[in-house]
Amino acid sequence: MAETIDRETEHAQDRRIQLPAPTAWPIVLAFGCTLAAAGLVTSAGFSILGGVLMFAGCVGWIRQVLPHEQHEAVPVTARAVTIASRRALVERIRLGPEHRAHFPVETYPVTSGIKGGIAGGFAMIVPALTYGLIKQHSIWYPVNLLGGAGVAVWTNSTPAQIATFHWTWLLIAILIHSVTCVLIGLLYGAMLPMLPRHPVVLGGILAPVLWTGILHSFMGVINPILADHIDWGWFLVSQVVYGVTAGIVVSRQERIPTSQSLPFIERLGIEAPGLMDSRPDAGPPRNKEER
Amino acid sequence: MADRTLPIPGSLDATRLRDAALLEWLHSWVVTVDHKKLGILYVLYAVFFLLVAGTEAMCIRIQLVVPNNHFLSPELFNEFFTMHGTTMVFLVGMTIIFGIGNYLVPLMIGARDMAFPRLNAFSFWLSASGGLFLYFSFIGGFGLYGMGSAPDITWWAYAPLTEKPFTPGHNTDYWALSLIVMGFGTLGAAINTIATAFSMRCKGMTLMRMPLFVWLMVVTSGLTLITITPLTAAQIMLVIDRYLGAHFFDAQAGGAPIVWMHFFWIFGHPEVYVLILPAFGIASEVIPVFSRKAIFGYPAMVAASVGIAFVSTTVWAHHMFTVGMTSVGNTFFVLSTMMVGIPTGIKIFNWIATMWGGKIRFATPMLFCTAFLFQFLCAGLTGIMLGVAPWNWQLHNSYFVIAHFHYTLTGSFLFCIFAAFYYWYPKVTGRMLSEKLGKWHFWLFFIGFHLTFDTMHFVGMLGMPRSIYTYEADRGWSTLNFWISMGGLIQAIAVLIFAWNLIRSYLDGKEAGNDPWDAWTLEWSVPSPPPAYNFADDPVVRSRRPLWDLKHPDDPDWKYEQ
Amino acid sequence: MSTIPIFADEHWRLPSRGRVGMFSLIIGESAIFTIFVVAYVYYIGRSTFGPTPQVLDVPLFNTICLLSSSLTIMVAERAIARGRIRVFGAWWGLTMLLGIIFLAGTAREWTRLIVHRGLTVRTNLFGTTFYSLVGLHATHVVVGLIMLSLVMLFTLLGRVEQCHAERIEVLSLYWHFVDAVWVVVFTVVYIVGR
Repeated sequence: MAETIDRETEHAQDRRIQLPAPTAWPIVLAFGCTLAAAGLVTSAGFSILGGVLMFAGCVGWIRQVLPHEQHEAVPVTARAVTIASRRALVERIRLGPEHRAHFPVETYPVTSGIKGGIAGGFAMIVPALTYGLIKQHSIWYPVNLLGGAGVAVWTNSTPAQIATFHWTWLLIAILIHSVTCVLIGLLYGAMLPMLPRHPVVLGGILAPVLWTGILHSFMGVINPILADHIDWGWFLVSQVVYGVTAGIVVSRQERIPTSQSLPFIERLGIEAPGLMDSRPDAGPPRNKEER
Repeated sequence: MADRTLPIPGSLDATRLRDAALLEWLHSWVVTVDHKKLGILYVLYAVFFLLVAGTEAMCIRIQLVVPNNHFLSPELFNEFFTMHGTTMVFLVGMTIIFGIGNYLVPLMIGARDMAFPRLNAFSFWLSASGGLFLYFSFIGGFGLYGMGSAPDITWWAYAPLTEKPFTPGHNTDYWALSLIVMGFGTLGAAINTIATAFSMRCKGMTLMRMPLFVWLMVVTSGLTLITITPLTAAQIMLVIDRYLGAHFFDAQAGGAPIVWMHFFWIFGHPEVYVLILPAFGIASEVIPVFSRKAIFGYPAMVAASVGIAFVSTTVWAHHMFTVGMTSVGNTFFVLSTMMVGIPTGIKIFNWIATMWGGKIRFATPMLFCTAFLFQFLCAGLTGIMLGVAPWNWQLHNSYFVIAHFHYTLTGSFLFCIFAAFYYWYPKVTGRMLSEKLGKWHFWLFFIGFHLTFDTMHFVGMLGMPRSIYTYEADRGWSTLNFWISMGGLIQAIAVLIFAWNLIRSYLDGKEAGNDPWDAWTLEWSVPSPPPAYNFADDPVVRSRRPLWDLKHPDDPDWKYEQ
Repeated sequence: MSTIPIFADEHWRLPSRGRVGMFSLIIGESAIFTIFVVAYVYYIGRSTFGPTPQVLDVPLFNTICLLSSSLTIMVAERAIARGRIRVFGAWWGLTMLLGIIFLAGTAREWTRLIVHRGLTVRTNLFGTTFYSLVGLHATHVVVGLIMLSLVMLFTLLGRVEQCHAERIEVLSLYWHFVDAVWVVVFTVVYIVGR
């Protein structure tokens, strides 16, 4: 495959190529133009000199190109040129089905994410309260941390204050906790069609770790007081518990086919009874209105 | 020695012979109309001014390294940041793209020279003498005292500061006149590039087979035609104002300084694209070669380039949200600015798709291009942020803006230019640049760049305005400014390594051969450095990668291209 | 892909570099004129004192001369394309004459404005924009006339031949551009702005 081309050697040595002849007039003209402009900021003498140079440059230039452009003949020197590649092997990227690796034919319904979120929310209470009992000797500590910091009403509370029971903070904490759990579950469910293969790994391990990392870096800016009181190890544990529970709940749900499994024409929204199969659960063909 | 002390008339004096040879050599460079020599002149000129403007930037950073510093006088500080901006945009950016374009466009399309070789020489010497004229301002006017009358009006030169009553000396005149001169040089180069690409292509080089770099140079030149000229027109108005007593931007006689702002940014915004588009072209040449894959989505790349050029002419007033335009005006310019994201997004995805699945070699050019991809994305994102009018109202004229456009011009443009140096230096000189020094250059510059310009975003958000001479210690900017200056120092070291690499590799670099990177465009089919006539025989191409076809006769591209 | 596309050499034609270059120049020049026209339009009626555009007289004769010079230069182009050098010289000379009449008319108009109406470039915004825009156009006419006279000179010396037809055509493109710009300037200055 290597191919040496010395095209130039195959020609006679005395070959000449016509190239435009070198000329000094462009530089004279350019320098004249600049001097003419420079005269405005220095003295008129410069402008006059510039004008003279411009005139000379123009005349010289015109004599170069009229009536015929001047050329000089450059002799061709033989130099061997190698056009070859050591990389002889050409590989073409084969387009197979695996190039749409995440081409989900089946996925979990969005509602399964919400179910998982609710289940995870309950499961998450256990490590949180355990943390309160072991570390702060009060189950209300994590509750107040969430409820109190969530609305940012306390400024310089001592751990003892946080450990006591407050009705309002409990209610706020429950509200925040349930809303967040359902929303995250919903987000999880919405993302599932994109990454449907390993819900437990994704939702249980990866997402909580990333989520904790993001919160860890942002919490100091968003709510510095809360950031001071959070024990990030336990926080991570409770997040993982949430995620694993949610993931297990989701993976137990029944998968539904995505629109990818439908014929193209049906995905376009066109009814074509003759071209596409009836759905397996549809029974004998019916009109769509009756469904 | 005896020869020199007792010269005998008519004798063959060795020294004089050498002098004569030197003179001959110099003469050949001055009178040349060869696109390769002119390209080299352009690039050397740009590198020289890169060092000059870099020195100015370092002086600015030394001045700002600690609060209440007096390293420079306030007047000199104004002159330095004006000259830094003007030099980097006009003397470095514009000249280096047209230098690289000058060298490569004829080689890439299989031509022997540019369409108008004499105009080419004229354009270069006009740009070059214009630049010298601009720097003459440091010693002209009132002499070296206080560094003469160098422009100190910022590089965007807002009226009415530039009017006679407010800037009595010749500072503004130097700025306007030298840029008018250079503007005509640039115009000539742009015309030449377009004519070359359209009229000088070798057989088979249809428009849709041109290398992307050539396409991008064409788009850039087209954009130059309609952006440099408004600046020239506005500067002519300014000169008429200052010399003939006219009132274009004279607020006292009813003239509107805001008209200057519009005229300047009609030039100023597309100018950024004039600089960045050739950088895209460089990336589009380097990334495929070092990924061992053809460029992904060639027609989309061409369309996106043309699209960027079109959209870029409709976005200028996003530099002017704070002057108080109508809501309709604000909305229009916000939306048009968002539009830029679409074609640039296409380009970024196409580059990534080119790399995907390829056999990537991280040689120095590829390193610079990879960093470019990431940094250009960041620059685009902060650009979108600044393109949102309310956000812009908060951060206009802060260091956040400086950080954004240095991400574009340093992080994207300059990185690609460095990639181009490492990639095409073997072609120009016949010798490879040292890869080891190149890696040092890359990593130091990369670290310094991020230290400087990432930090600038934060100091900008903390409220530090641009162009300030100094600041008090209690503003909370001191530490950040210290690190910004340290980053600048690291970048300066990296650039010095680069300059040393250029010189050393020229003297004893590795022999390159004609095709060191195993590349595919026509310039690699001629010896390095190419002979004066480029191609002994006119090449004939049948695909976008003519050398691929020759290297892989069993599997040529033209079998697959449409 | 069994068929190999054979490249057809004989159909390889590229646009003339002169035309491409001149069209590029015209695009650039148009941008310069656009900026001056925009400034003129923006400043209409904003002068705080001094003469207003009402002092202008419509230069109809001038306009007719300049626009008809576009026709005469076209006739000249055709003549040289067919190799009739003498006819070419005559029409070329007529074109130059029409251009000179236009310039003389402009000079007369300016003298009248400056001497009798006291309108200079520093009088007010109208003076500033008027003299700049019309002066920019006049500068282009002068440059065009210099080019035309060069060709005329070479024609009289007998150096112009049929093979120069393409260069002549490129030059006449510039002249057409100068005429077209005058249509815009005329409309803006003497019709819209008055």
